Amino acid sequence: MTNMAEDLKATHVRDAAPLPNGAPTAEDRRRTDRKRSPREQKKRTANIVIYGVLVVLVVALMVPFIWMLSSSLKENNQVLTVPIQWIPQEFVWSNYTDIWTRIPMMGYLQNSLYLAVIITCLQVLTGSLAAYGFSKVRFPGRDVLFLAYVGTIAVPWQAYMVPQYIMMQNLGLTNSFNALILLQAFGAFGVFLMRQYYMTIPDELCEAARIDGLSEYGIWARVILPLSKPALASLALLTFVNTWNDYMGPFIYLTSNRLWTVQLGLRSFVGQFDAEYAMIMTGSVISVIPILIIFLIGQRYFIQGIATSGMKG
Amino acid sequence: MTTETITQAPAPVHSRGNRKQARRNTLIGWTFILPNFLGFLAFTLIPVVAAFALSFMEWTSFSAPKWVGLANFERMFASDSFWIALRNTVVYALGHVPLTMALALILAMLLNRKLKGIGFFRVAIFFPYITSLVAVAVVWNMLFSPDSGPINQFLGAIGIANPPGWTSSSDWAMPAVIITSVWRDMGYYMVLYLAGLQAIPTELYEAAEVDGASAWQRFWNVTIPSLRPTTFFVVVMLTVSSFKVFDLIVVMTNGGPGRSTTVLSQLIYQEGIGEGKFGYSSAISLVLFIIVLTVTVLQFKIQQRRER
Amino acid sequence: MKRTTLAAIALAVTAGLGLTGCAGAAGPAEQPAANGKTKLTVSVWNYEGTPEFKALFDGYEAANPTVDIEPVDILADDYPQKVTTMLAGGDTTDVLTMKNVIDYSRYANNGQLQEINSVVDKVGKDNLAGLDAFDMDGKYFAAPYRQDFWLLYYNKDLFKAAGIEEPKDLTWEKYSELAKKLTKEADGKKVYGTYHHIWRSVVQAIAAAQNGADQNSGDYGFFEDQYNTALDLQKSGATLDFGTAKSQKTSYRTMFETGQAAMMPMGTWYTAGILQAKKDGKTTVNWGLAPLPQKNDDGKVTTFGSPTAFAVNKNATHSDEAKKFIEWAAGEEGAKAISKIGVVPALQNESVTAEYFKLDGLPTDELSKKAFTPDTTALEMPVSDKSAATDKILNQEHDLIMVGERSVTDGIAEMGKRVTGEVLGK
Repeated sequence: MTNMAEDLKATHVRDAAPLPNGAPTAEDRRRTDRKRSPREQKKRTANIVIYGVLVVLVVALMVPFIWMLSSSLKENNQVLTVPIQWIPQEFVWSNYTDIWTRIPMMGYLQNSLYLAVIITCLQVLTGSLAAYGFSKVRFPGRDVLFLAYVGTIAVPWQAYMVPQYIMMQNLGLTNSFNALILLQAFGAFGVFLMRQYYMTIPDELCEAARIDGLSEYGIWARVILPLSKPALASLALLTFVNTWNDYMGPFIYLTSNRLWTVQLGLRSFVGQFDAEYAMIMTGSVISVIPILIIFLIGQRYFIQGIATSGMKG
Repeated sequence: MTTETITQAPAPVHSRGNRKQARRNTLIGWTFILPNFLGFLAFTLIPVVAAFALSFMEWTSFSAPKWVGLANFERMFASDSFWIALRNTVVYALGHVPLTMALALILAMLLNRKLKGIGFFRVAIFFPYITSLVAVAVVWNMLFSPDSGPINQFLGAIGIANPPGWTSSSDWAMPAVIITSVWRDMGYYMVLYLAGLQAIPTELYEAAEVDGASAWQRFWNVTIPSLRPTTFFVVVMLTVSSFKVFDLIVVMTNGGPGRSTTVLSQLIYQEGIGEGKFGYSSAISLVLFIIVLTVTVLQFKIQQRRER
Repeated sequence: MKRTTLAAIALAVTAGLGLTGCAGAAGPAEQPAANGKTKLTVSVWNYEGTPEFKALFDGYEAANPTVDIEPVDILADDYPQKVTTMLAGGDTTDVLTMKNVIDYSRYANNGQLQEINSVVDKVGKDNLAGLDAFDMDGKYFAAPYRQDFWLLYYNKDLFKAAGIEEPKDLTWEKYSELAKKLTKEADGKKVYGTYHHIWRSVVQAIAAAQNGADQNSGDYGFFEDQYNTALDLQKSGATLDFGTAKSQKTSYRTMFETGQAAMMPMGTWYTAGILQAKKDGKTTVNWGLAPLPQKNDDGKVTTFGSPTAFAVNKNATHSDEAKKFIEWAAGEEGAKAISKIGVVPALQNESVTAEYFKLDGLPTDELSKKAFTPDTTALEMPVSDKSAATDKILNQEHDLIMVGERSVTDGIAEMGKRVTGEVLGK
């Protein structure tokens, strides 16, 4: 229905357009026009519609963030008012300068970044390796082992947090970054995600590489990895975000203030009976920035065609 | 490709009866898995197994555990709170999983194109996931406010005489939580779908177009089947995270009003580290684990059958 | 992806792992105790935001130059969870701060704390408010150093504007009347007569204290009047309704400091907060204190409170030093040190109270002073291994009554039924 309407509209526009000067006969021109113009026109209309939808969507998605932004510019006792105040009575810009001295925000950011980067790298590296074993090599017990991986994701951390802590304490690993890195870098999430992606890569590609004399490790490094950039990007992105925003893990394992991450630092504005919400929102806004940067870098890998171009070879 | 080369190739499954080959494969497979597996075994699997063992014991975390057999399970199955939490969790999952999946896929398709400023829109859709939970809870609760909230004003304007009480009502708190969580999580799963969409060869679409397939047919016959592994991943992760949902509910309703939005992981947290009944809380997590594992295995089987 | 990139990542990872041992950018590493000093570790919450800890530690270090106190700073939000986990792992922190009596009973019952009867005896049993809470069959495993109790904050300017006298000798009936009178709408901004925070204690602990009843009993008829009062205020619009307050995470400080509420029943901990806010120029509210409204008008003031205490970890590295510290902190010197910053100490005698009222900015009228000397201070929640589970149930049912999903009678009946069935096991 809509397609037809758009086609009609497109024809109209074409007919009304002034004739381009040049040689082609009317017959020719009509043919090329029929081929391109309605299509391009359709595409443009579609794009406008898509933009419209996206803009509305973005507004709907950003509302709480806008509140966060507005709260970060208020005095504390102006944040949680009834009814909600969208525009601060007066803009307290000093929140953004104060927070660096109120808490060692820079240090917390560094700690968070350090943890997030290392955990992400390890997760991506070991996850994509293991995923190859789970998807492209067949051996007995593979699927059962894989299910065990997936099964543990189903167990809430609250359930085994204490046994895990006792174990870590006995290993002398508590109150250090190592504890968190070891706990979070080898999770099942990355293995699962990468395995599923590798499943979409045709086995014939591996076969062809084997014929070319590549070892399994070579196939992984030279064929599979280059093909899975979008998946690696999404794994890295999601792991980074989850590590960055994790609160409970660092809370349990990092006791010394010098090791604290941003999320812990922000919670230190929560007192026993009340909380400094303006400061918390200021800090939250700041802590979103690194994620945005990572996202903007990572999302460039979501471009259709990478996988196929590799496959033609 | 000749038959000889296939049999010579080291990895194929179909290599029948070649024991040496199978052993080699096992070895190769394990070398890939090992780096991750060692860490996983030591820091996740062992504590998880330990926690499950605790479900047959009484343990306050201060003294040695005491074997109590099935007492924890008996207590659990006789407890109101457990059944209410289980029901709430299932309701939440039934709402959250399909809605998030559908919206994430739609968004991913919408954003999977070369468009000016597409990076900005992709980031924007991810925003709910990185917005502070407190902000999410406050703003959504305001939107849901029974008397003055925009949602109910809209419902009133379109002629709904008795708009729901949302988070202040036992019956409507769960739908409100589901809506908020779908809104929050769809960007996250959109990223996964976006990655999955990259793996679909454009040739498939071109071929379908040549065959005269409509956009809908292309979606149904090319996109959906090609996305099956991604969908499997998304379904399992969504199911798992729905069954483990914790943070959002704690901040948004804290399980209330009454027990109308209390979920299993909250119960596990309260009973375990909150009240020091670690045996009992482990028993609840074992049940949660079995439920999710069953769902996952079913999905796994379905997926395997489709692949054949 | 090129091999070089992979190699680079691998290198970065190994380098990173090697570094972690000494990393940590948010401050210097802890120094080992210098020149023969004893390093005493004390678990605290929110060290920066809770100045009483620093006041105590500085005071003690000044009096005992051989001791170096190191706070183990834990976030206030999940303090008990972290302490429980640490203890499960055999942590050796010397002094553990007991945030509430429910946790205390759990640690003490499970043998995680050392008995410190000698310390309590030296400080003097009669002077320590809230000490009864820590009595476990004649044994004390912790000594309170701080005792918060509830009173009524009110906005003097709003009272004056409405032509109402200071809230003296209030019963709950009179209080309701006042609240309704004080409610008004000015310049499109609503001023509520009072603000009840969403905590269940605002209704339940008050009812228990003023009826001399037990919240672990499983029989909750004594809540009824208090619920009726609270619901009536809410219905008449004299206080913000519970549903809004809960879902909007309304801050009681905002309500009072922006002049949106004329009265507010709240704990004494807020005096330190409001003093600071006034000092920083963040509020101009002209505030006063009054005793909590009463059930009877016999002139006796009954309120409730919750003590905060120090205990010695069973696995403490320096048990004797820890006990010495507690003796000092709970004693007169500790009490004076925290009085100076507006925190109500557990040790109460005249010289300590005098120290408290020297505070700059504290309202000095007679009524405010009277508010600080209640006749009876009951415990917010009794100490028992059942308290945590009961607390949870009472919270859930409180919600339902306050949002109007259950009638008061039904709600109370349900509380009784659930506590009896699920906790008391009858």
